[in-house]
Parts: sequence; C-alpha cells; structure tokens
Amino acid sequence: MKFDILIAGVGGQGVVLASRLLATAAMDAGFHVATAETIGMAQREGSVTSHVRIGDDVCGSLIPQGKADLLIGLEPAEAARNILFLSKDGNMVVNEHAIMPSTQGSDEYDPEKILSFLKESCPQTITADFTGLARDAGTYKAANVAMIAASAGAGLLPFSDEYLWGVLEKMIPEKYREVNRRVFDRAIESVSGISVTESNKDE
Amino acid sequence: MTGKRILMGNEAIAFGAMKAGLQIASGYPGTPSSEVMETIISHAEKYGIYAEWATNEKVALETAVGAAYSGANTIVTMKQVGLNVASDPLMSLSYMGIKGSLVILVSDDPGPHSSQTEQDTRAFGNFSNIPVLDPATPQEAYDMTKLAFELSHELETPVILRTTTRVSHGCEDVLIEDIGPVSRDIEGFVKDARWAIFPKLTAQRHPLLEELQVRMSDRFSEYFKDSSFNYITKGSSKIGIAASSVSALYVKEAIKDSSDVFSFFKAGTAYPFPEKAALDFMKGLTDLIVVEELDPYMEEQFLQIAGKYHLDINIHGKKNGSFPVSGEYDVDVVIDGINRALDNIITENIRLSHSIGAVGPEDIPPLPVRAPTLCAGCMHRTVFYAFKKAAAKMKKKTGTDPVFSGDIGCYTLGNARPLNMVDTCLCMGAGISVAAGLSRTPEYMQGKKAKQVAFIGDSTFFHSGIAAVVSAVYNNADITIAVLDNRTTAMTGHQPHPGIGLTAMGSPAKIIDIAEVLKSCGVGMVKTIEADELDKCMDIATEAMEFEGPSAVVFKGKCVAICKGTGQYVVDEDKCTNCKLCIKQLGCPAIFSISSGTPVIQDTCSGCGLCAQICPANAIVLKEVAQ
Repeated sequence: MKFDILIAGVGGQGVVLASRLLATAAMDAGFHVATAETIGMAQREGSVTSHVRIGDDVCGSLIPQGKADLLIGLEPAEAARNILFLSKDGNMVVNEHAIMPSTQGSDEYDPEKILSFLKESCPQTITADFTGLARDAGTYKAANVAMIAASAGAGLLPFSDEYLWGVLEKMIPEKYREVNRRVFDRAIESVSGISVTESNKDE
Repeated sequence: MTGKRILMGNEAIAFGAMKAGLQIASGYPGTPSSEVMETIISHAEKYGIYAEWATNEKVALETAVGAAYSGANTIVTMKQVGLNVASDPLMSLSYMGIKGSLVILVSDDPGPHSSQTEQDTRAFGNFSNIPVLDPATPQEAYDMTKLAFELSHELETPVILRTTTRVSHGCEDVLIEDIGPVSRDIEGFVKDARWAIFPKLTAQRHPLLEELQVRMSDRFSEYFKDSSFNYITKGSSKIGIAASSVSALYVKEAIKDSSDVFSFFKAGTAYPFPEKAALDFMKGLTDLIVVEELDPYMEEQFLQIAGKYHLDINIHGKKNGSFPVSGEYDVDVVIDGINRALDNIITENIRLSHSIGAVGPEDIPPLPVRAPTLCAGCMHRTVFYAFKKAAAKMKKKTGTDPVFSGDIGCYTLGNARPLNMVDTCLCMGAGISVAAGLSRTPEYMQGKKAKQVAFIGDSTFFHSGIAAVVSAVYNNADITIAVLDNRTTAMTGHQPHPGIGLTAMGSPAKIIDIAEVLKSCGVGMVKTIEADELDKCMDIATEAMEFEGPSAVVFKGKCVAICKGTGQYVVDEDKCTNCKLCIKQLGCPAIFSISSGTPVIQDTCSGCGLCAQICPANAIVLKEVAQ
C-alpha cells in the first residue's frame, strides 16, 4: 500500500499542523508514514508544501511528480502551483478562499479562473470555501482542520475520520477543542453525499 | 515508553541523545537544526539534563567542550553556517580529543531553503579529521545519534552528526526506546597536559590523529556486515549506484522497477570514508553512478580509490555532468541523472521513466508570485519604512544616498519589494562591519555618500554584532546602527537570548541591555524607541544619520508571530481615494487590491496601524471604530 498526499498553501495557513495531523492519524491507523515539511524562511507568507507519504512501500519523504493520490490545496493558486504532483487518478480538495499577494501579481491573479482550471484538470475536485466554513464555526484559522476533515468525510483518506479526531483531540489545547470539533463536524457534513469509490485509491 | 512515535528528524536526534545519556547540551538556533535543542530543552527537567542557548556557535561548542573535558555526555547543535563560526575551536579540538562524549549536530540545507550557502559539512569532517555520520531518515537519525555518542566516548573524539533539511524537517514513525533516569555522575575535570594545546603537543598528537582516521575508516567498512545504515546489495549488471543521505531513498524509488539490475552502495558513515568496503564494491563494476546532494564528496572518494588501486571503472556523478552540481535533489532529479549516466554507458539499454501526472507543466496558467515577506504587522516594516522616508528626505537636502546593510534574520526580508531596504547581506553580524568598510570609500570621504546604515536583529547583535560595534567605534567609522529588537530569535522559532531575561530552561536571567552595551562600547549617540509611531521613528532615523561618527538606535517592538496584535484595520471605501499608497509603499501581506478596486485588508491584519499612519486620506480605520 502506498498513499501520497501533498498539502499546499501559504505560510501561516497551518500546512505543517495539517501534515502532522495526517501523519499521526496514519500511524495510529497502523501505517508507516514519512513527511517533508517547509519550515523557516519560506513560512513567512510564502508558498509552502507538506508531503505526507503513507504505506510500507514509502521510500523518501518527497513525492515524485505525478504520484500524489490526493492534493489538498489550502489556497487555489497554491493548489495549481503543485498540480504536477497529482497522479492521473488522483483527487483534489481545494479551498476556494484565495489569499491575494500584496504587492506583486494581485492584478493578474483571478482565483475563479484558477479554480476552473483545477476542476477541468481533475473533474473529481472538491472545492468549497473552507475558510468561510471555519470562520462561521468560530475561527478562520481552522481551515486546515476543515479541509482534512472534508477529505476524510469524502472517503479520500486511507483511514477513517475517527483516527483524525483522536489525534486532534490530543494535539489541540483544550480551550480550542470545542471550536475545532465544530469545524471538523461541519466540514464532514459539507461533503456528505460526496464519496469517492475505492477504485480511485492506489492499490 | 518504548514504541513508535511520529517524530521530526530533529526530535528523533534529541530522543537518541537523551537515550544515550545526554547530560549537557548547548547550541545556537539555525534552520534546519533548532528543534534538536528545543526538544532537549522541553525534556531537560524530566531527565535532569542541563541545556542552554549560547550567544553563538563558537561559544556553544566551547561550552560543550568544557563540559566534555570534565567527562560529561554533551551535544552541541547548529546549522551548517554556524559551523563556520565554530570552526576555530573545531579545528584544534580534533588534535586534543575529549573525555566524556561530544556530538556536534550540524544541519545542511540543500536548495537552499533557509540558508546563505549550500556548503557540505562532510567536507568539514575531512578538513578537521572529525568523523561524520550522515543519516538518511529520522529513524536512522535516532539510531546514529546513539552511535555517535558511543563512538565519541570510546575513541575520545568529537563526532559530527550531519543532517540535511529533509532528514531534520521530515517526520516519520520512529521506534524509540524508554529513556531511563540520566546519570548525574560526571567525573570532573582532571588536570593534565593534554588539555592545553601547544605546538609541541600538536606535533605529538597529529600522527595519532591520522592513525585514528585509518582505524575509523576500517571500522566503518566493518559496519557493512551488519548495520542498517551501511549496506551493499548486488545487482545483475556491472553498473553500481552509490548514494548518501536522503539521495539513497530517491535512488531506491527511482530504480524500483529495475532494482535487481544495479548493485547498490549506501554509506551512513560519510567520513572517514569506508575505503575497504568501497573497494570491494567497486571491484567487478565497469560503471559507478554516484548520487549525492551538495558537494561531490563521495564521488571524489571513489575517484581516489579508483586511482589508488588502478581500477578500470567509469565514475558518473556531478563531475562528468550527469547530476546537477547544486540544488536539492528528489526522485525526478535522480531519474534524470541516472538516465544521463546511462546514456554514457553505451552498452546498456535500460532507462528509468517518470510518472505521468494529471496535468503537464505547459497546462498550468500563470500564477501569482508569492515570495516570503515580513509578516503583517511586523515592527521591522515600520523601521525600514522610517529609514526609507528619512533617507529620501536627506537625499533631497544633501544629494547623498545611504547604503543599507542588512543582516541575517527575519529582517533580511526587508530586501523584498517595495521596501528594498537590504542593499548588502553577507553572514551573521556582517552588516555593521560591512557598513564600516563601505564608509571608507573615497566617494564617501569626499562627502558624496550619505551615512552608512546597518540593520541588525537583537539575537544577531549578541551573536556577532558586538565585536563589529567595538571595531567601528575604535576606528570611528561613520555608521548608524539600527537594532531591530523584537525580543526574540524570531526566524528560527522564537528562542530566548541574552536580551530578554530568560534562559533556555526558562529560569530568570540577567537582561543584557543592548542600548547599555552600545553606550559602554562608546557609541556617541544611542537612542531607544518603541517602533510603533512612524513619525517618531523617522525623526530619530534622521537624527542618527545626521550624527557624526558611530550612532545607534534600538527600535523595540513585539514579534507578531508570538504576541497577538490588538484590533484590525479596515478601509473606509467612502474616504479612500484609491491612491494605493498603502499597497505600493509597504508590501504588507494583509493588504491587497484588484486592479481598479480599493484596497482590502485581510483577516491576517494584526493591527499595527502603519498603513493608517501613511494613508493621506485617513481612510484606514480600526474595525471597531468603523462599525
């Protein structure tokens, strides 16, 4: 078994937390797991990615191009920037909430165009305003949690959402637990009805 | 408790060190090494370990050396450029050896992701005669940390544990063991002539040191028999592949479908190179493909062995153009490299192929550039902007244009558009000395250049700024020092430093006041100001730049990454004249606008109010006020 997840976003969106969450849940579900994360200078509002590789066949922590089974894009342009990693049969979960770069390129950046490119490239792409969903549930910062939960809810992960919540519960300080639970549940609810068949998963 | 845990490579190293009986730890933060010390610090009390952040890597190494001379089990941590700072004690240390144990954790950064250089610490091992262990995964990092302590103790030599970014900042389910109580027994320093280096002692020790290199090389060859990190597998062809560190994993994945074709050599012991095992591996091969990031270190070792033993073997790597000489590798880079090597090995028809993804590179539409930048609300932006405006005024008045020398830290990001406030940046602490050097140019002496300005962060000031200040005062360099004091070592993850009154372990410490240090060094004008009001910052910047001789301003503020701001600003669309000054001048990541639209302030606003202070229409207001 091998299942590769690439998480792409902007520094500050919680990409590292998302990959830790996935990795720990995967381990709890009995899998070997390896990750590669962006920490340091690029974290300051730059493009960041985390690679999460699950399964016994995993070698290095960086996913080769065309191999990711799931691309989680916390931001539309960042999903597009990393789409070369997505495998032919891969799935995408993309946050519709765009982060506009301040000084350069805001004029050229049309998130709607990028989102339609993503949907054309991968028809089974799930898109939603996960930042809005998280904000409505209590904190816009939990968009990362919402997207991981939605991925699980849509059956895109090789383990159930119970493993995820089990890890989150331990990772998140008590005072933020309730709001995260709300985000988690609403995200799963938002994708109810969307489910990807087993045949779409690698091996 | 013995079991598997998701650990970052750096955390695994810390656990390995604690399992090995670590007693004393020192280090200076630097990406990608910092989490080793942080993990040790967070367990220090539990296991009775003493840990401290030193002011720089040289001090950190020397502190660990003192403890190791006394028989303690020690670790010192730094990033690769930190080892340059620590190289003076390092070079002598190999002659002296140690008692106890001393592991030097050094993290390299192929890419580079967060560093000034792509230097290779394996070469430092070769240079200093200090063994280098080179793990490929977090699990190997854990296992090899324990080995490093054992070797160090047994052979009385420091051992370098070298990681790369992907080992340090990758996570894996790592099998770690129960850590028992740490022994507090340290023999103590025993006076002996061996601890004081002298030419005579060096001459005596040098042959022994060289003899140790041979013994270690032989031992590392023995590891190929039964270790998990040095191994050889035989293939059906006469082509071999040798790889180190994470590159070994990329090779495995790249040749997955033809792994039985190639013989494979993986060495976790980088220096001294396991010559005997390498020679055995090379015999019978016609071609050897060497895959490694950074320097062609292994490649040179193989070339040397091929020459020494007159082997008829072609070696393919960086030196014959098969592999990129710089940058980070991944599976795709390795596939291309191996294929280029195979192109040169004409008898072979085998080629490796890439995976075909959902989309080709030509299909991706143009995307916005998203370079790293100062956080929304960062105090550095206010200071940079104040100096920019003050300098522009001075230019109008005097026609002179200051050079802004930067330094290493978050504030290096002041170089980004539209601030453009870092004209030079070289290494830790260099800004002040570079500014002093710039002030010696003839143009400057003729009064055609404005004052030279050096920006330096608080932690960098303590790291290596002070000696430069003393030199500047001593030689009366006409410079202005702007200290960006956000009371933390921000870029590397908010470690404490001598200016904030807390030690690594969280106990209260004496605050070393930067302004007082500057005054006691004899800087003629020293002012301190909170970096929140732009006008005041501009006035003080002007005053400091107009001052004759060395002047300094300590700008104080909070790091928004750890101290939440108060309030958020919004644009009052009725008042906004859409001049876009806030966007064009500041480069704050919280503000954007789309073509003709008025600027919008995003959720990430932390309420610093700099944009409100420069808005000519007073159209940027606090959200609470607007509502």
